Amino acid sequence: MSILEARDLRRSFTSTSGMLRRHRKETEAVKGVTFDIERGEVFGLLGPNGAGKTTTIKMLITLLLPTSGSASILGYDVVDDAREVRRRIGYVFGGDRGLYERLSALDNLRYFAELYAVPAREQKARIGELLELVGLSGREGERVEGFSRGMRQRLHIARGLLHDPDLLFLDEPSLGIDPVGARELRQTIASLRTQGKTILLTTHYMFEADELCDRIAVIRQGELVAEGTPAQLKQRVTAGSVLEIDTFGGVQDRLERVLAVPHVRSATVDVRAQAETLVVALDSGSDVTAAVLAALDGIPLGRVVAREPTLEDAYVELVSS
Amino acid sequence: MSARFIAAMRVLFVGGIISFRGLFNWLNPYIYVPTMLVAPIFQVLLFAYIGRSAAVANDAFYLVGNAVQYASIPCLFAMANTIAGERWTQTLGIVLATPANRVALFVGRSLPVIVNGGFVALFTLAVGARVLGVTIPAGAWPGVLCAIAVASASCTGLGLLQAALALRVRSTAVLSNIVFGVLLVFCGANVALDAMPAWMASVGRVLPLTHAIQACREIVAGSAVGDVLGLLGREAAVGGVYAVLGLVALRFVEDQSRRRATLELQ
Ligand SMILES: Nc1ncnc2c1ncn2[C@@H]1O[C@H](COP(=O)(O)OP(=O)(O)OP(=O)(O)O)[C@@H](O)[C@H]1O
Ligand SMILES: [Mg+2]
Repeated sequence: MSILEARDLRRSFTSTSGMLRRHRKETEAVKGVTFDIERGEVFGLLGPNGAGKTTTIKMLITLLLPTSGSASILGYDVVDDAREVRRRIGYVFGGDRGLYERLSALDNLRYFAELYAVPAREQKARIGELLELVGLSGREGERVEGFSRGMRQRLHIARGLLHDPDLLFLDEPSLGIDPVGARELRQTIASLRTQGKTILLTTHYMFEADELCDRIAVIRQGELVAEGTPAQLKQRVTAGSVLEIDTFGGVQDRLERVLAVPHVRSATVDVRAQAETLVVALDSGSDVTAAVLAALDGIPLGRVVAREPTLEDAYVELVSS
Repeated sequence: MSARFIAAMRVLFVGGIISFRGLFNWLNPYIYVPTMLVAPIFQVLLFAYIGRSAAVANDAFYLVGNAVQYASIPCLFAMANTIAGERWTQTLGIVLATPANRVALFVGRSLPVIVNGGFVALFTLAVGARVLGVTIPAGAWPGVLCAIAVASASCTGLGLLQAALALRVRSTAVLSNIVFGVLLVFCGANVALDAMPAWMASVGRVLPLTHAIQACREIVAGSAVGDVLGLLGREAAVGGVYAVLGLVALRFVEDQSRRRATLELQ
């Protein structure tokens, strides 16, 4: 049995605006999402802002009722057996809110240990282990208001794990964390995976998803548009190679010409520090580098690299097609 | 005892105390002393002197009425904040995603509020008696304590109902201020129920504090606790009804938020 089964989940929101003449607007945030998560798997849910990731998660963690469709976790229905579901899942979202600022880290954890009914005699050891896991040992007596974002995020993860949940939901855990903190966070998630925890992760960082996820689903405007291992996604979408050319001005005007070159599937411009990088996806087996460069004739070029497609290439193609 | 029962009891007591501290540490001495310990003395003095100049009732009448009525400041404001304050800390979603028993969760938060409310009333009564020169016989204090405890608990019941409303309307202070004013006028703190128009007296009888104030006055005047058990029982019943309404309302708000996303939970 899969640990999580979501079947045709849908959720719409009605929002009203205007004081006197009320306008009602109906948004379909999630439009029929079906997927399974297997035990021990890290499952990535990727998609652009507003795609419906958080809404999907809220339905799974029992904070929102689905408009239609169903989902179960370890056989418990997220609507009918909400309390049983809550006992078995942990939930962590990104950002620095959601903690009791005036309490110490330890008291924050103790409070949630009570709410998750962690037996009194196990609490101390459990909290100690988790503080160790997330690297906050020695800081637990301090008030959370003095914590950095990274520390808060790690405290959140410890909170999500207090009751040793079977399934952990991490909604953009790396939001606003510096590169070193993000790397440590990835290590923490990787070590949870080695311990056999099942995790549903959302992130906007593709390398993070590539590194951590066993399987990924891409959601766009409330619908799943692809699902598979990171390797499968890379293959399925861009069955070819990618050419990256750093340019210094004027590349936007040449896009038409580049796209006209045979075997060029797509071309996008990525603005980086000093250069604008032209990213060109090519059909597999084709070598049209010379033709592409010819199309750019006359504008200053920097580094030219041919590489294998990354998950980000696959993602960009999936959500923009 | 089942594990589930023990867990609920721990949420009630241990959880209640931790979360009260979490949402109320701002009550540092610089805020606490003026609002909770000094302001009520002003209120007592104001009404006692109005009473003296109008020669309607003695000092003890106003002292007891206002000291007990002032418990509604901590009971209403603190109760609403310990629940509705979760919207500002954005912890509500995380709390509601836990399997914790909701009755224990919310009622637990009321326990420290009740203790604090009782302390404020008792302090005001003791200091006010000194200032006005009202003698409260030593033997009356246990009964006074008892009446104040019931008053504080029953007013916190109303606070619980108000907390549910505050969650929806996103403001706790507006509502608490209004309810405080209603209590000040209707619960007989300064005008005896007999002296009010009938409709006002009937409103007073379904509000918390009214019966406890009356009981407390009788105790201070020499009655035994046994003689005012009826009043205290009615006080407790009124508070109990509000508390149950509050729990039902909180349940309703939680249901609505799952259905219609009304609490923008994280
Ligand atoms: N409470 C709400 N009321 C009205 N509309 C909502 C509500 N919550 C979400 N939506 C809408 O539902 C859609 C999906 O939002 P959701 O938060 O699930 O996106 P997301 O994939 O998590 O995006 P992000 O990457 O920005 O976090 C958006 O159009 C959003 O405006
Ligand atoms: Mg989101």
